[in-house]
Amino acid sequence: MYRYEKKGPKRGVALYSYSAEFGLTKTLEDCFEDIHDMGAHGIEILANTHIENYPYPTDEWVENWWRLCDKYEIVPVEYGNWIDSHVLGDRDLTTEESVEMLKRDIRLAHRLGFTVMRTKMPVINDLLEPVENWREIIKGALPLAEELGIQMCPEIHTPSNLKGKLVNDFVDFIKETGTKNFGLNIDFSVFRTEFKEGEWVDPNYTPNKPEDIIPLLPYIYCCHAKFINMSDDFKETTIPYEEVVKVMADNGYEGYLLSEYEGADKYDEGYEVGQTLRKHHILLKNLLGD
Amino acid sequence: MEKQVIQSVGFRNTKNDKGEITGFQFKVRLPYYRGIFLSQIRPGTLFINGKKIEKEQITWIIDGEEFTNEEMAVDFHTHWSTSKPAVLKVKMAGGLAQGYHDLKYGFCFTSSYMPPIIQSNLDPDKEPFVFMPEFGHHVNERRLLIV
Repeated sequence: MYRYEKKGPKRGVALYSYSAEFGLTKTLEDCFEDIHDMGAHGIEILANTHIENYPYPTDEWVENWWRLCDKYEIVPVEYGNWIDSHVLGDRDLTTEESVEMLKRDIRLAHRLGFTVMRTKMPVINDLLEPVENWREIIKGALPLAEELGIQMCPEIHTPSNLKGKLVNDFVDFIKETGTKNFGLNIDFSVFRTEFKEGEWVDPNYTPNKPEDIIPLLPYIYCCHAKFINMSDDFKETTIPYEEVVKVMADNGYEGYLLSEYEGADKYDEGYEVGQTLRKHHILLKNLLGD
Repeated sequence: MEKQVIQSVGFRNTKNDKGEITGFQFKVRLPYYRGIFLSQIRPGTLFINGKKIEKEQITWIIDGEEFTNEEMAVDFHTHWSTSKPAVLKVKMAGGLAQGYHDLKYGFCFTSSYMPPIIQSNLDPDKEPFVFMPEFGHHVNERRLLIV
């Protein structure tokens, strides 16, 4: 099994970035090779997208998964899953049904060598507040997560704020339970300061300062290194990357920064998101040293 | 797999054991960035050459297993992948005539992480209020040949 031992923040790629190409012009192995070309060592997959025959892959598929990780020197970092409690039209899943769905993903994440899960919660309103029974769902899965060494992390994404209620509720839960198996994934969209002229900005959004992340670092097991616009001289023009990465490195962050590109232009004819990711990895490599 | 939602491969008349033409089939891919459970699918209306086909005539085949619309609505265990098109089987005695046919089909799907207000207004036969490429178009059209 390949290991990457670099100290401090490490580089990786969220395969979500390839959403316009995966299955059409890119195979799973193409994505692995592209990440290898960038010299990055971490990967995030979306379980429901990138695992053939999800949620029950064959042993052959799993063997091939490990072969790809070894061949391209990739560490399985984050397993993207959804608690799909609203999956039925006429009723929500019960807490027990949601727990079973979550436990199935924990087992599969572990089988593929992942240690962190981006656990997407079902929401109940425009503020993207999670379902009322989220604490019970997570508690129901905590013993298995502990046994298998998995850390479930909801993603904190714009318009949420690092000092807001959603984050406070999650941190309170971590403190109350004392768990190390539930934490946070911070999406760098929360640091965005620049918008195009006339671009719609969510009225609920206030940018965080880079240092706002410091008190949360003990609970952050993974980050989505969201980027919006890379210039041709390899600068991100909307998020203060240098400051954010420096604050994290100076304060002992040891996890991965997973590049995630969600610009709608990636669906344009002929667009190659790998080239956009490479620009981002020139920036990250220059900031991180490897 | 083709980029279009309605695939050109897989469009043909279908026969029963006796060799009689009992209908036709075509394939659609899931134009979303993640796979879904069958109960998330909201099947809409199929038009062939502008003529409406009743929902009861249509079944979906996912990974070789056949489902009616009612069966899909309650099935949150069977998963439809983004990289394996579904086969839509349509009952129609005699099938389709040789030559070109205009296919138009609408379907969409729910997402637990989207605000419920957006979910309850989903209409498979109308385009969403704001088009998001990673959710694809609801209504797709293609002109294809039957031999």
